Amino acid sequence: MKTALKKGLSSGVVFGIVFIFLLLIGLINVGSMMVGDLLGNTKGLAYNDPLPTSNLLAVLAIMGLLAGISARKGEDESKWWVSFLGGLTAGLVSGILAWLAIWVTETMSIDGVNFQTYLPNMDPNDLNYLRFYSTPVAAANTYLVYFVVFSLIGSALKWLFSINGWFAKCWQVCREGVSTWKESKNLKGVLENRWVMLVAFLIVAVVLYFLPLAWGSYWNYIMGTVAIYVLLGLGLNIIVGYSGQLVLGYVAFFAVGAYTFALLTAPEPHGIGLNLWLAVGAAVLTSTATGFLIGLPILNLRGDYLAIVTLGFGEIIRILIRSDILTVLTNGPKGVTNVGQPTLNGEVFSDVNYMHLLLLLVLIGLFIAKRLKDSRTGRAWIAIREDETVAQATGVNTYRYKILALLLGAAFAGLAGAMFASRNQFTGPEDFTMMVSINVLCIVIVGGMGSLPGVVLGAFVLKGLPELLRELEDYRLLVFGALLVVMMIVRPEGLWPAARVKFKKPSGKQAKDLATEVEQ
Amino acid sequence: MINKLRNLKLTPGLILRLLVGLVVLIYLGWRIYQTAFGEGIYGPDTWMRFLITGLVVGGMYALIAIGYTLVYGILFMINFAHGEVMMLGTFAGYFALEAFSAIPAPSAADQGLSFLNANPVIALLLTFIAGAGVSALMGYLLERIAYRPLRGAPRLVPLISAIGASIFLQNAAQLLFGPQRRQYQNPDLLWRGTGWMIPVGGKEVMLTYTGLFSFVLSILLMVALFILVKKTKLGKSMRAVAENKQAAALMGIDVDSVISKTFIISGILAGAAGVMWGIHNGLFNHYVGFLPGIKAFTAAVLGGIGNIPGAMMGGMLLGLLESLGPALLGLDFQLKDVIAFTILILVLIFKPSGLLGEALSEEKV
Amino acid sequence: MKLKFKSLFVFMFVFALVLSACAPSAVEETADPADDAEMPAACEEDPLGCGVVPAGETIKIGMGAPMLGDYSMFGIDISQAVSLSLAEDDGFEGWSYELVAEDTGGTPEGGAAVANKLVTDPTVVAIAGHIFSGSTDAAMPIYEKAGLPMMSPSATNPDLTTKGSTVFNRLAFTDADQGKAAADLLFNELGFSKIGVMHDGGTYGQGLADVVKDEFEALGGEVVAYEAVTTGEADYVAPLSAVAAAGPEAVYFGGYAAESIVMMNQWAQAGLSGVQLFGADGTYGVEFTQKTGANGEGAIAASLVPPDSDEKTAFDAIYAENFPTAAGELSAFTWSSFDTGNVLIEAIESVAFVDNGTLYVPRSALVEAVRQMDTTGLTGAIVCDEIGECNASGPTFYQVVDGAWVPLDLASE
Repeated sequence: MKTALKKGLSSGVVFGIVFIFLLLIGLINVGSMMVGDLLGNTKGLAYNDPLPTSNLLAVLAIMGLLAGISARKGEDESKWWVSFLGGLTAGLVSGILAWLAIWVTETMSIDGVNFQTYLPNMDPNDLNYLRFYSTPVAAANTYLVYFVVFSLIGSALKWLFSINGWFAKCWQVCREGVSTWKESKNLKGVLENRWVMLVAFLIVAVVLYFLPLAWGSYWNYIMGTVAIYVLLGLGLNIIVGYSGQLVLGYVAFFAVGAYTFALLTAPEPHGIGLNLWLAVGAAVLTSTATGFLIGLPILNLRGDYLAIVTLGFGEIIRILIRSDILTVLTNGPKGVTNVGQPTLNGEVFSDVNYMHLLLLLVLIGLFIAKRLKDSRTGRAWIAIREDETVAQATGVNTYRYKILALLLGAAFAGLAGAMFASRNQFTGPEDFTMMVSINVLCIVIVGGMGSLPGVVLGAFVLKGLPELLRELEDYRLLVFGALLVVMMIVRPEGLWPAARVKFKKPSGKQAKDLATEVEQ
Repeated sequence: MINKLRNLKLTPGLILRLLVGLVVLIYLGWRIYQTAFGEGIYGPDTWMRFLITGLVVGGMYALIAIGYTLVYGILFMINFAHGEVMMLGTFAGYFALEAFSAIPAPSAADQGLSFLNANPVIALLLTFIAGAGVSALMGYLLERIAYRPLRGAPRLVPLISAIGASIFLQNAAQLLFGPQRRQYQNPDLLWRGTGWMIPVGGKEVMLTYTGLFSFVLSILLMVALFILVKKTKLGKSMRAVAENKQAAALMGIDVDSVISKTFIISGILAGAAGVMWGIHNGLFNHYVGFLPGIKAFTAAVLGGIGNIPGAMMGGMLLGLLESLGPALLGLDFQLKDVIAFTILILVLIFKPSGLLGEALSEEKV
Repeated sequence: MKLKFKSLFVFMFVFALVLSACAPSAVEETADPADDAEMPAACEEDPLGCGVVPAGETIKIGMGAPMLGDYSMFGIDISQAVSLSLAEDDGFEGWSYELVAEDTGGTPEGGAAVANKLVTDPTVVAIAGHIFSGSTDAAMPIYEKAGLPMMSPSATNPDLTTKGSTVFNRLAFTDADQGKAAADLLFNELGFSKIGVMHDGGTYGQGLADVVKDEFEALGGEVVAYEAVTTGEADYVAPLSAVAAAGPEAVYFGGYAAESIVMMNQWAQAGLSGVQLFGADGTYGVEFTQKTGANGEGAIAASLVPPDSDEKTAFDAIYAENFPTAAGELSAFTWSSFDTGNVLIEAIESVAFVDNGTLYVPRSALVEAVRQMDTTGLTGAIVCDEIGECNASGPTFYQVVDGAWVPLDLASE
């Protein structure tokens, strides 16, 4: 019983503090608006119509439920009243904290205290909404009641699910069913049939062709960005995922590729006007060369030193591009405008064409990355990643393979850079800050290190998903940061981890043959 | 030493490094000679100004760098969120000073003076305690929430968690307090831009009160930390845990508690540095910890990560390099970060474990 | 072979699945004009197509401004003034106007990103902006290709109108004028013969610094130091000391208040006591006086405050009613922004038409209409010439006296 109380107490305190934090940054209001949009319960059309407060109650209910559920987590006692005790404590504690917070802020607000000099998100209108347009005490009481009630409900629900274990049993049965279905011979036969693969391939290709046409310029723009980040992710995946070198300055290669392309095709600083596809090739070449130059001095460095040095390189390149002395070459902080765009049948690429090109490049990139992983080079990289000393002992030329990983990763970044500059029609030094390197690293690791579907999924989640949640725009990075921490604690292997190559045991006859071979 | 030379194998890599090193040294020496003695554009008073700025900023970098090094020595992770811990200290100090400047002085004699100006020493002390305290708390929470669950994980996992925590804290500060830059309300005694005028080479150079204050405080804190680590029991436990966690646990040291205390100490130092930054530089926003954090980490690596005197030296050196470097080499002031990073890269190429080497044992790879 | 195809299939399938999962919500949201089979004839003829605003939507005017961060006072002030002009208007045939102000961070990169985003929305028909010259420069070619006319209340760099753009117009004076006037003031009126020139490396800052340098030297003065600073830093003592070492009598700074505030606070430390700071329109504003306090006494900056008139007084009153700051407090461009909004409304209403319950705005016609603008506003006569310069009035100079900006009084110098 004591543990239930303790858990309830800690859960209550945590949720109380979270509530106060969300209150101060204004997320409670935004949450209510989102709930309103979801349920279609938005305010009337006239300007002065009050916002429906039922949404706010819904938000409170959700918080209460979560508090109750987390109070019950890990509790394996099946005595029913213990779980209610936990839920009650959680609800009471968080409710009391919420009561205090609301009462204090609302009373101060009514008295005319202006929070906004220090806390800009506490708009008096929002505060009015948060107290249900009534008095502070009445509002605070509502908060307390809702927290307690829903916390109890939450812990009751959790108890229900755990008591019989029927939910867990159901889940288990489903998973077994799926895996037996996967193992069944019929399915295997279907999947490995050449013709089926070809047809599926064609269907996907057709879908990918028509998608950019269907969903409008805005989504082409967003998904194009996602595709560019997939390319970047593939490149960094080779460096970090396959060969295990922690490179934090990946943006350097991106910058070199983008600027090479921009400077070769834009009229402004130099007016070279090179053929676009040659310029793309040049971009890939220069970034690969940069990879080589950066790679040489750092081969001997250990993990974290490598990280900070590559970070330094990334910053050096950005500052050099921006600096006065190289302005003659790079146009400095003003950036390069009118970057060349490819033409199709005489017309400049539209956003649809760009999307098609990017999809094609992504597919080619995935293909190359996959082949590399399954090749001898790939296995050498994995050996280096797992334990460099042992790899060297077994005869793997670590220097060669590490440089090769850097070169290939840089090449991907160069290609992505050229596409980025071309699509944006502009590029400048501030496009290549440290945050870009960090974003790509997060894509690789959150997706699953060394895993190709993981990279694609990671790019979606970290670049595409924020666009879907426009109301949360201001809170996007906050959620991003919290998500990273949570993901590393809950699922550090990534969203779609790389499958480890299984060594297949040889079947009867093969085993005998092998055995006789070894003996001889 | 002679034996070392004799046993040196002349690989092509080594020859290349020696050649590059020689070229770089000759170039540096030539440029420094030119600017310092040849052209003489900057008089001794300007050099003095550069020196003062470098030392003040170096002290702050050193404090933050020690924080990085302490954590790395114990956990082998780069605490990316350390810059944000400093930022929170800066905010805490700001609010403390704002509060003190709004409260009227308690004694009847000082009519019209705020508490801040009536009792500046106490107010400043309390401000520093507030800043250091908030940072210490933040460091403790960071360790408990974001790092402790990841104790045994491969190296990249806590790094990403640290990056996530850093982004979260930056944006939490932005959402709570707004993105506009705020200004520290210094007591009149320590008003920014005032100081002693020192005659140097015929002209007068200002040694700001805030600068001197920051520098002296940095040195005091560094000495205090040094004593803590070398002489006290806690320091011994910290060194033991850094050396070998399991052995320390077997010896009866509560490893978790020592780790928490390490984070608290590094938080205190960062918070103090944050308040100093606010007092000396004045303007700050939620982004104030990011760049100093990166630079302090560079400084820690420069001095040899895991090595506390190394971090102190690295911080000072970095501050001086940033300030004097562009002027000495006759380059643009915009390139000061380039110079700092290049020096780091050069040092790491020739001495991969930093200037003072690491104080870590072998098996930590 | 099998393994390769299987994995490849899996990836593409995943990709396609997730892509198409996001698509349905998107297809409903954006009305792709290309799909609209019944485009009116005027739109078919117009080489750049039409902006399409279905019933129930608002006519959107886009803006790229620094809304967050160090330069946000410009973005906030200007977007407030423009949105006020849109709100004061009664709308067109049942459609009302809306301002879409996106954050550029004050950088050219942000400008390009905002432009790329705004051109994907068919209900955005014109752009009030961008606000900073660098971000305008980056966005111009993008808007040119998409056919969105621009009217900027504050982008002052002279080169912006010499690039042959048909869509860019501005109400602000050019830096060619501002730089000349500043150099003239420094040399002739204030009597300085040796100055230092500093800038922040951006299109606006460096452009202005170069103009001042050239003009000052042409008048016979000497520019003893020319230094660049990096934006966003907390410590400029080093470059300021380098400038001080050359012994200037005044320092001209081309850049924004975010940097000049830091510089002003470190003036004495750097050895520049007694040296005059002369800033540009980017320095003017309440932020400078608030954050420099006593250190900022005597600094000079340029502004775009129009002469007093009944309209101006009325506008100042409405502005103060609606927003917490006064007109001209955060930046010099409140009045020109109000005029910008009205000019764009006038142009839109002269070419838009309704067909079948949907509003169409032919793009090249609108670009023409803005370029041919001939009207009056708070800032005076607004007549656009062939290259897009629409305002004849030049900068006025202000000085910090007792913590507030007052018109520069040469008699007291």
